[in-house]
Amino acid sequence: MIVLCALAISASASAQNLNEMLINEVLVNNETSLVDGFGNRNGWIELLNSSYGTVDIGGCYLTNDTQNMKKYLIPSGDVNTKIAPRQVVVFHASGKGDQGTFYTNFKIEPGDTLYLVSNDGRTIIDQVVIPSDLGTDESYGRVHIDGTIDDTRFEKMSPSPNSQNGDPEAETKSQIMARTDPYGWIISLTSMSVVFTSLIVLFLIFKLIGKLSVKYMHKGENKKTAKKAPAKVKVAKTGNATEVAAAIAMAMDKEFGAETEAAIALALHLHFDSCVHDQESFVITIKPHMTFWSDKRDMMLHKPTK
Amino acid sequence: MNTVLENIGEFLKFTGFANATWGHIFMIVIGLAFIYIAIKREWEPLLLVPIGFGIIVGNIPLFPGLNVGIYEDGSVLNILYQGVQKGWYPPLIFLGIGAMTDFSALIANPKLMLIGAAAQLGIFGAYAIALAMGFAPNEAGAIGIIGGADGPTAIFLSSKLAPDLMGAIAVSAYSYMALVPVIQPPIMRLCTTKKERLIRMPAPRIVSQREKILFPIAGFLLTAFIVPSGLPLLGMLFFGNLLKESGVTRRLAETARGPLIDVVTILIGLTVGCSTQADKFLQPSSIMIFVLGFLSFAIATFGGVMFVKFMNLFLKPGNKINPLIGNAGVSAVPDSARISNLEGLKYDKRNFLLMHAMGPNVAGVIGSAVAAGILLGFLG
Repeated sequence: MIVLCALAISASASAQNLNEMLINEVLVNNETSLVDGFGNRNGWIELLNSSYGTVDIGGCYLTNDTQNMKKYLIPSGDVNTKIAPRQVVVFHASGKGDQGTFYTNFKIEPGDTLYLVSNDGRTIIDQVVIPSDLGTDESYGRVHIDGTIDDTRFEKMSPSPNSQNGDPEAETKSQIMARTDPYGWIISLTSMSVVFTSLIVLFLIFKLIGKLSVKYMHKGENKKTAKKAPAKVKVAKTGNATEVAAAIAMAMDKEFGAETEAAIALALHLHFDSCVHDQESFVITIKPHMTFWSDKRDMMLHKPTK
Repeated sequence: MNTVLENIGEFLKFTGFANATWGHIFMIVIGLAFIYIAIKREWEPLLLVPIGFGIIVGNIPLFPGLNVGIYEDGSVLNILYQGVQKGWYPPLIFLGIGAMTDFSALIANPKLMLIGAAAQLGIFGAYAIALAMGFAPNEAGAIGIIGGADGPTAIFLSSKLAPDLMGAIAVSAYSYMALVPVIQPPIMRLCTTKKERLIRMPAPRIVSQREKILFPIAGFLLTAFIVPSGLPLLGMLFFGNLLKESGVTRRLAETARGPLIDVVTILIGLTVGCSTQADKFLQPSSIMIFVLGFLSFAIATFGGVMFVKFMNLFLKPGNKINPLIGNAGVSAVPDSARISNLEGLKYDKRNFLLMHAMGPNVAGVIGSAVAAGILLGFLG
């Protein structure tokens, strides 16, 4: 019983919400406005959920023909037909309904009357008469004042698909840039400055970190040197050991491709510049090693034994 | 009998032969040419083979309504294409790039970062030219990013700024990345003297593991705070690098730079190729995009080399930078660094520049991601 009541309430709520769907904005002649998923520019119809609950418009109809109120059926079962509160959705009037949920099977013309029809196929939820003198890239939409929708007043306006009508910010950033910076100098200079600033700051930080790191490493090396061996010999060795270690470390790096080549190149560079040598003691020592042939004890006759 | 013939006639209407146009045939030939270049010349094969095959797949003439084409909602190819359209493949590729990039050369000689910044001149030079040619600012920004020489960045930005031009921009970016060995050397020679080409650079210092770990963290915080719009690319790049350098996430780093980047490369290459359907791709704007892409690469190379010469005015003898590594600021990793090395060896057989060139090369990756973020912030 409770479930049935809940279902009834939710159904009535849904029906009520459906009535709060509005045709928000329409554009007929599209030359620079919204591009559809196929790379084409068609007229478009923007619907607005003016309620504070999610509305599923699946199963409703869009039409521009009073003789055929079921002209375009908005498919049911598509998650994208559930419109969040105060959000809009745009239908491309491409005339090709098989292109997807948001592509109507009819095109719109100036002077058309556009209807949003409920899922019963009879009840008109909202309608708008498109002015016959609506220009190219000019839209016809509801007036929004500070976020409040005036649901009786329509005006010709700059297109603002997927955003609030009449909002000065609805002019796209690209359009603003085209107006304020037609040759691109301002954006180029600003952007190059930002790129340089980012990398200069990074450069300064790592310059500092590098200096500290080198200082720290030398400190560590000096400590070890002091502990182990005479200072003179060790300092000389440390210089080369560092370079050899660098070359070997990089060559031993498990990376592939250019980095391995780079490591090999560095090692070769160091080698040809005579920066890297093996440290030789120049003392040749032959340690005595007894073999069967050289061991005198084996060459002597053994005393006869009983 | 008549029914059978009618059925056969009906079936024939569905075949590619009945729906083919010269545009489809032309694009299929281009796809085959990509595959040929990739296999025969080994120019960017990991990208050109998937893109080339994708071009063929995308240009199989289809009867409308079969729901198999890349632009048809809910088709398999359309679902795979979402990663390109919504722009989530490129950050995943950046994750892999971060996990395979060694920033040591850059950390050892941080002034090389500035070359990576200077080479971004190509992006904004091409942007201004594209505006002059009549493109809208958002389209010009998407075209200009070709000069960043970074395919994923180009796809990411064009998917946000000019989705209708994305196919041409992506193919152009990858084509010119493959043509780096042809485009860059003449410009490098033109901008440098023989004396400059012989400059030997001091060996870089050793970089401690601590510095390597600090780099992605500091680099990310800094760049992301300056250009938050570049967050997806910068975040993934530096995160991948942290996985590599931390030393405790070897498995994650190996996955990011191995299987993950391979899978995403396959998907991005194939779907970008598929998106170049003849009716969308064979437009005058595509030819203009190819011309602008070339200019963008040329200006970027010029900017990098000339900036090194400018830096040398302030550097002490013995500390000067060989301007042949200036081209490496164009972030085609590691191809442009290889070009620096090869050009250097032509004039001095013992002057190995590769290690030095890797610095501006990886700085270029950061620079182009920052530039993409800026363009997105201004025009998105």
